[in-house]
Amino acid sequence: MFIESNRGIVFVKPLTDVPPLSISPSSKESKEWVQVPPPLPLPISSFATLTIRRCFLWVGVSFVLAVVTLLVCLGFGTEPISFSRIWSILVGAMLGTDSIHVGTDPTAVILLQVRLPRVLLAFFVGGSLAMVGVALQALLRNPLADPFVIGISSGAALGASLALLFGVGISLLSVSALPVCAFAGALLSLLIMYRISSAGNGFSIYTLLLAGVVLNAIFSAFIMFLTSVADPNRAFGMYAWLMGSLTGPDFATLGVLALYLGIGLLVLATQAQSLNLLTLGEETARSLGVEVERVKQLVFVAAALLTGAVVSFSGMIGFVGLIVPHAVRLVVSADHRLLLPVAGFVGGMFLMLADTVARTALSPGEFPVGVVTALVGGPVFLYLLTHRNRRVGM
Amino acid sequence: MDSRNVLSRPAYALREVSFRYDIRSYDTSESVLKDITCSIDSGKILGILGPNGSGKSTLLKLLARVLRPQYGTIELLGDALSVLSQADVARRVALVPQETLQIFPYTIAEMVLMGRFPHHRGWGGWHWEDSDDRRIAHLAMEDLDVAHLGAKLVTDVSGGERQRAVIARALTQQPQVLLLDEPTAFLDLHHQLDIARILRRLNRERGLTVILVSHDLNLASQYCDQLMLLQHGHIVEVGSPREVLRPDLLESVYGCQVLVDSHPQSGLPRVSLPV
Repeated sequence: MFIESNRGIVFVKPLTDVPPLSISPSSKESKEWVQVPPPLPLPISSFATLTIRRCFLWVGVSFVLAVVTLLVCLGFGTEPISFSRIWSILVGAMLGTDSIHVGTDPTAVILLQVRLPRVLLAFFVGGSLAMVGVALQALLRNPLADPFVIGISSGAALGASLALLFGVGISLLSVSALPVCAFAGALLSLLIMYRISSAGNGFSIYTLLLAGVVLNAIFSAFIMFLTSVADPNRAFGMYAWLMGSLTGPDFATLGVLALYLGIGLLVLATQAQSLNLLTLGEETARSLGVEVERVKQLVFVAAALLTGAVVSFSGMIGFVGLIVPHAVRLVVSADHRLLLPVAGFVGGMFLMLADTVARTALSPGEFPVGVVTALVGGPVFLYLLTHRNRRVGM
Repeated sequence: MDSRNVLSRPAYALREVSFRYDIRSYDTSESVLKDITCSIDSGKILGILGPNGSGKSTLLKLLARVLRPQYGTIELLGDALSVLSQADVARRVALVPQETLQIFPYTIAEMVLMGRFPHHRGWGGWHWEDSDDRRIAHLAMEDLDVAHLGAKLVTDVSGGERQRAVIARALTQQPQVLLLDEPTAFLDLHHQLDIARILRRLNRERGLTVILVSHDLNLASQYCDQLMLLQHGHIVEVGSPREVLRPDLLESVYGCQVLVDSHPQSGLPRVSLPV
């Protein structure tokens, strides 16, 4: 009657073996009539599929964990800040009651104007990369796909590099020019791929992956060319940015980033159910009623928008879009209506922690966060890969 | 709508349908299907037979509008297939593909419930399945005897169980026409018989039109009301098993000698290869 689901949740077996509602003598000792319980109103166990309750539960849990992670990460740095101090400063700043104090207290300045924007940037970037990874993996039906593999990131990086080289530089017009150029680069790489891949009838997954690899090589060559002809000071800045860093955002920058990300994430969210069906294969998805071409175009544009915005603000940070969706899929659910938001929160958490390591491990110096994500993400990914059939976690 | 009216109407009417995969080529000899004109009855089981490369699977995909023909028109229950939306088609026709990609760890119940997608409108089909959806999916899973596997992952079950779950997903679409591409190809004898009997029961009890592609001439002979024999993208013969499974016809289409006798139980044609 009760069996163990492989996600570790005990659930009631659908009532096929249970006799229908009947009234019968139970035994010889008692002549009383015993009522057999009627079948459950929902024949399929609610744990075998996604329900609103389960969705809210997981999203709520991951949200709380993300907030906790954020507070923890705020405490670390060249000057550690205690949790109670963080709390009082944040509450004071939010309520606006403590403004004079906040303006003069150096700890509050560090927390609010240096550390908080940076931790928030890490959260936004990590979350977006994870969600783009989810979307691309569904679209390509390949758990190894991410914005870097299929060349969107390097397209965005080329666009951003051109913007940097021709003086629409970081300090002057970063708010407007960089993300737009990066988005243009990301979209350009997608359009090129679309032309290459849809030359035949339809859109082949393998052509797309291969085209991505080659496109990556071409864009990387362009970027290397640009960095070698750029003047050394600027080239050094480009190198640091290309390696992936989260230094020096302010709240205005964060607001612009949040706008870009909001649009992209909204589009992705509306396509969550279509992405579920797309993972079964394009022909199957079509036979189940999905307008495959439209979904693909929407998801590609959203992915380009997200990747362009993220790359322009933080450079090339790898592995977040690769391991986070994979892990969440194994532990929580493969259903994109749950996978997308949870992967977003977990990706944000992952990058906040990785960045905290990057800026505190060699304190007062720091190294690119891309180093941390690769060093942590690579082995974790290999572990997940080798333990795929043993159901990591729950 | 009068249900008798629907039944008397052909499930499909094809007029001069041609299809080729390489759309840039103007060489019409490369067409997979050439000038197919036929009518497919409602409420019957039709078996599409033919050698490899004769266009069987392609024809099935055209009927599900997974592919669209370059020339000709296809009518589904009286409506031109080309003007229906993909969801409109999916509410009337369900396709059981030859193989399903199973990369991501969905549960069987989750996968079967995806069959409700065309019945929901909204942004990108965004919806939460309600108790009606669950009930419909559960009934389909009971029909195919996979209800007890609801919480198993699709990647963990056997090929036969997965194939039955995919058919359950197709039934969850509540279609009037069920298309199957080699439904018994990877199954052992026991499961082949299971699937064939289930299909016949669905057809007899609910009037579901079944169109299946098969290499198994004997299974098709026993379970199909009508057979369609394809060769090089042309229809060679349509008719009852006795009319289509003739030794001379099979030899010319398949290019090898065959023996045809009667099945000891049903008396229908039985095809064997010579020693």
